[in-house]
Amino acid sequence: MNKMQKAITELAEMDELAAQSSPVHSLHPAVKLIAAVAYILVTLSFDKYDLGGLVPMVLWPVLLFQFSDIDVRTCFYKLRIVLPLVMAVGLFNPFFDKTVLLRLGNLPVTGGFLSMLTLMLKGVFCLMASFLLMATTPIDNLCAALRQLHVPKMLVTLLLLTYRYVGVMTDELAVMTDAYHLRAPGQKGIHISAWGSFLGQLLLRSMDRAQELYSSMLLRGYHQHFHYADIKPFRKRDAVTIALCIGCFLVLRSVRIAEVLGRIVVR
Amino acid sequence: MHMADALLSPAVAATMYAASGVAAGISIHKLQKDDEPQKLPVMAVTAALVFAGQMINYTIPGTGSSGHMCGGMLLSALLGPQAGFLSMIVILTIQCLFFADGGLMALGANIWNMAFYGCFVGYYLIWRPIMQSRWFGDGKSAQRARIAAASIIGCVVSLQLGAFSVVLETSLSGITELPFGAFVALMQPIHLAIGLVEGLITAAVLLFVYESRPELLQCLDHTEGEGGRRSLRAVVAILAVVALVVGGGLSLLASSNPDGLEWALFGNAEQGYAENMGLDEENFGLSGKAADTAAAIQEKTAFLPDYAFADSDTPAGTTVSGIAGSAIVAGVALLICFAGGFFRKKKKT
Amino acid sequence: MIEFQHVSFAYEKDRPVLRDLSFRIEKGEAVGLIGANGAGKSSVMKLLLGLLQGEGKILVDGVEVRKDTLAEIRRKLGFVLQNSDNQMFMPTVYEDMMFAPLNYMLTREEAEARVDAVLARLHLEHLKHRYNHKISGGEKRMAAIATVLAMEPEAVLMDEPTSALDPYNRRIVINTIRELDQTRIITSHDLDMILDTCDRVILLSEGRIVADGKASVLLRDRELLERNRMELPLSIMGRPE
Repeated sequence: MNKMQKAITELAEMDELAAQSSPVHSLHPAVKLIAAVAYILVTLSFDKYDLGGLVPMVLWPVLLFQFSDIDVRTCFYKLRIVLPLVMAVGLFNPFFDKTVLLRLGNLPVTGGFLSMLTLMLKGVFCLMASFLLMATTPIDNLCAALRQLHVPKMLVTLLLLTYRYVGVMTDELAVMTDAYHLRAPGQKGIHISAWGSFLGQLLLRSMDRAQELYSSMLLRGYHQHFHYADIKPFRKRDAVTIALCIGCFLVLRSVRIAEVLGRIVVR
Repeated sequence: MHMADALLSPAVAATMYAASGVAAGISIHKLQKDDEPQKLPVMAVTAALVFAGQMINYTIPGTGSSGHMCGGMLLSALLGPQAGFLSMIVILTIQCLFFADGGLMALGANIWNMAFYGCFVGYYLIWRPIMQSRWFGDGKSAQRARIAAASIIGCVVSLQLGAFSVVLETSLSGITELPFGAFVALMQPIHLAIGLVEGLITAAVLLFVYESRPELLQCLDHTEGEGGRRSLRAVVAILAVVALVVGGGLSLLASSNPDGLEWALFGNAEQGYAENMGLDEENFGLSGKAADTAAAIQEKTAFLPDYAFADSDTPAGTTVSGIAGSAIVAGVALLICFAGGFFRKKKKT
Repeated sequence: MIEFQHVSFAYEKDRPVLRDLSFRIEKGEAVGLIGANGAGKSSVMKLLLGLLQGEGKILVDGVEVRKDTLAEIRRKLGFVLQNSDNQMFMPTVYEDMMFAPLNYMLTREEAEARVDAVLARLHLEHLKHRYNHKISGGEKRMAAIATVLAMEPEAVLMDEPTSALDPYNRRIVINTIRELDQTRIITSHDLDMILDTCDRVILLSEGRIVADGKASVLLRDRELLERNRMELPLSIMGRPE
């Protein structure tokens, strides 16, 4: 499998997850979107040393994983992109910030170490939140929600169309890549002599494809307006759900649950 | 160069969202005014193509490593800046939503860093002036040279600006303890290399398009007579941008933190950084394993004793009881996981 | 229902694609448009749909195909593209089928009822909420036909409807075409399929009509077909020894 085929598989997996049914799946997509954004904002707002405050935020994604019937492990694969990046930045912290903030027994814990851990946890939590959003919401529902949230029509339509053709184009490039490597054994990538033509050929074909696609739209009555089939009306219940979610985050943000719990065991 | 959510503070993330949002709004307005309905499918298919195209490995001759393409410059040369910008937004959104490449809150920043510069700066300050100029004279081969030059300069400049923005955003967010100057010194040279390679790839693709379907490229027909003046303007514009990037970056670096410069000069951590940050999780040929890097960093930090950058008046917010409590929370979380898994299995059997 | 009067067309001057084409197709007829590559089959389709403009007159239900009548004309014609990926541009089959009805100002409920009816008629209910990029080639072709039928067109035009399908899916498509009661125009190199689905055949060569008549007669004329770079359908040729 080459990289493009892997990408297609990954895309297909997300679609499959989103097509399942669970209490979380059946929530209004706008609710899930707003809740995810609120969760990420609250998570990011913790101070860089506030590990104790941050840790309880894990409860939210963990609960969602349970209610949506999705295995936590499915998202770990995605961490491979986020973690190295976050770590690359975070790893410097212990070396620059050597202020000892607290001691665990004899072990001094430096600010840099704490901020590195906080940073990594933030990375993982935020990823979980976005992952849960997409794993429980099909793209067309999300786009409908974006429209309800007044994201410009052109952008949403473009997103929808592009999403559709990402699969098609990736598939085509995957085949081309295989065809290339079958005739160029031992080459790791595209040789410089084909740098332009490899993508260029497909690009030219794509322009014809776009033309045909536009014809297909025209022939089915397209006139500047895209209609979305799957728009769920936004009800009072949904507003309440959003309020509840945000309430939960604010509680997690303001009540220092970790410390409260900690005081029970540590005097 | 995709930033993760964790690297941004809410304020910076929101600011970048606002900035990208305004740029997107203006672009949409412009496109709606132009009223070219057939442009939408073209944008969608081209965006999908660039999305897939980013995964192609291009062998860099003589190095055994491979380069990649990001696409902002390519899209704006094919579709124009506004349509290119929107296409890039959509690509970045799909990467963020489905591949966890970048984050939901970092999307605004990512759009700014990777799409805005490539599309708007790349187009208005580099592509258009160069294409309308008389650089390299008249005729087809001059046109080819102009396309190549515009692609390469455009990619280099937009990546430099993008990399600088990453540093700025991360530093303003107070995420990293890495001194600003050192961070800049780390990022800019790596992205110079990336930009050059991306520029070459973009040039190759655009030249191919030029040979087969020149009408697909923006700004190819330059008006007669205005050449001289435009040419001068082009040179001035480009020089200004380059000066801004290089001068701005260097002076900030030198003035704000001489130690940082020193650190960067001594420090060889760029390699590891390149591997991790960069280069979009694909090694960019700057070899070195993570382990070596960690060791290298430790070695270097030994040169710099007692660096205390942390502002000591930041409330620690963490106590021993906090940590103990965190452990309890983690335990509870794990418990929920296991309990859930347990029940799920039971339901199925 | 569809009439071409002295239609000519050229992409570039001096290289005509269609030369003085005239024919008439009655309501409910199934017509196979055949000819070698480059004979002008797809140009005929595109002219009829108003995607290209040529010389001469094209009438659909007595209305001339012109810029100002395009909306009216296109509403009556459904076009199944050869490449279903280009036809189906929405993420799911359902969204795609809803596209045309919603564009024609139907309410969501009416549109959905129409979509469900078409799906039931083609036995495709299971595809309704599937993703277009995840269904097989055969399913995709059927879904594309369903998408067009959801418009309730008066005529269905099909470009190579059986290309790249396995025998089983090809048979499903053929049966579907046979059961349609709309006017049908089908271009294809699959002459067996044309023989199965069409009563009448128009044979094009170098932009001219060289034969127009009953499918059962024309498709048995070995000499005529071979002269125009085609072969007898296998079912007529019989099993080669």
